[in-house]
Amino acid sequence: MNYGNLFKYWRTVLVVAEMSLRTQFSDAFVLFAIVFQPMIIAILALFMLRDKGGDYAMFVVIGSGLTGLWSSLLFVSGNSINVERWTGTLESLVGMPTPFDVIVFGKNLANVFQSLLSMVVSYALAAALFGYSLTLTQPLLFFATLLISMFAFICFGLTIAPVFVMYRSIQQWQNAMEFPVYILCGFLFPIALLPDWTTPVSYLLPPYWAAIALHGTSTADMPFPQIAFSWGMMILFSIVDLVIASQLFRIMLYKARVDATLDVD
Amino acid sequence: MNTIIKNTRLFWQGTLLSYRALFAWLRPVTYMASKIIMPLAQMFFFVFLGTYASGGKNASFFVIGNAIQITSISGIFGVTMSVGGDRDAGTLPYLFGTPANRFMIFFGRAFMHVIDGAIGVVIALTWGVLLMGLDLSRTDMPALGLTILITTFSTCGLGLLMGCLSLLTANVMFVNNFVYFSLLIFSGANVAIESLPAWMQVVSNILPLTRGIAASRALVGGASLNDILPLLITELGIGLIYGFVGYVLFAWFETQAKQRGTLETV
Repeated sequence: MNYGNLFKYWRTVLVVAEMSLRTQFSDAFVLFAIVFQPMIIAILALFMLRDKGGDYAMFVVIGSGLTGLWSSLLFVSGNSINVERWTGTLESLVGMPTPFDVIVFGKNLANVFQSLLSMVVSYALAAALFGYSLTLTQPLLFFATLLISMFAFICFGLTIAPVFVMYRSIQQWQNAMEFPVYILCGFLFPIALLPDWTTPVSYLLPPYWAAIALHGTSTADMPFPQIAFSWGMMILFSIVDLVIASQLFRIMLYKARVDATLDVD
Repeated sequence: MNTIIKNTRLFWQGTLLSYRALFAWLRPVTYMASKIIMPLAQMFFFVFLGTYASGGKNASFFVIGNAIQITSISGIFGVTMSVGGDRDAGTLPYLFGTPANRFMIFFGRAFMHVIDGAIGVVIALTWGVLLMGLDLSRTDMPALGLTILITTFSTCGLGLLMGCLSLLTANVMFVNNFVYFSLLIFSGANVAIESLPAWMQVVSNILPLTRGIAASRALVGGASLNDILPLLITELGIGLIYGFVGYVLFAWFETQAKQRGTLETV
């Protein structure tokens, strides 16, 4: 992946993002993943955690929003290349002069951006239906964290999509990857509840650092050095993801242009 | 006698073939990911959330609730896809063109999913015992087995109704997912029914799973079959009602489709 392309083709990124947003808002599956599923999880968690007091409402809003973000990343971003294969447009996209990774970046940008709707819906639900008064403890740092988290999620999505299109044996596990990440990343409960051996796995997942920083800046007065550390980890993982994604895209485009096996099941 | 044999054969062949067709595209690894790992991960998520909420107490409440709820994967998704799959595969006109007994065709679609769903619950309970400390020492196991079968049957009844909806709408997976996740709230798998608002309790009482989960919890707590029999009879009745409504809808859909020529246009 040539990172300079993202700046050179920024208009393309935005147009692809806009088109993806328009398309996905009419897709019932996407709407379920980013609106209804997080909403149901939020209702469940609000009922289950209500004995812990109103402070947990914001924790649930952020946590359930993150579930929507991950589900959407896994199923929508994960299939952002596959969906072109299924509709027969993959070869055309690979063959056109605009770099293919720019197009996938734009699709992921739209997907992650629209997934933020999960948090908005959960927020409205907790405030309107459950009557909680919700305030962010560190609003500026929260929104800064949200931006960095979005970038980390987009980069993570860039590694997942080519893996799913090239290695179908991994994609078969897609359904099974949803809830383990909810668990390992501590979206709705601390990972201290889990066995110790799972902790290093959590540390390797960018959504874990997003969850730490988002929870810390929304429901607790997390000290800035800790927030900055989480930001640093997300940026580090984003760089690693971009390097991995560049290699994966290179292999994928080779398969498309030389082997001509990209669309072969 | 000849009719009975024909219908039994139709039921059995329809059962096996629809089930095999549904999973023909799957490799064992995909089946394991979708039917074993995913449900177990979901169960663990809600069990951890529940134990966190209750301060580490009452883990068995969540293990049993979520283990029994796993049956709805087969009951809702499996059955719906078996019924609706004919439309997707383009075989619906041929199906409706045959003189075969519709009752046998329709209910045959659910049979294997009852067994499949029950096996899923047993696997989940086994993991609950091995990893979550679920204690079955006071449990009447044959009664628990019967409860699992009846609960799976009643959930498949709802699945048959949903399957008919899949013949009427293109967004059936949205509806399925919505019903499936709603069951996590309304069935009492994660939240005690008594603590829900009154209108939600009304909804809970007309859904399958609710009484099956309550009966399973009672059995694990040491109750006998006689204690939970009323719950099981009502659960069975609810499943039969959903299945029957589904069958009526299936028959109505066939009539409408033939009269209006809208067999595959929705």
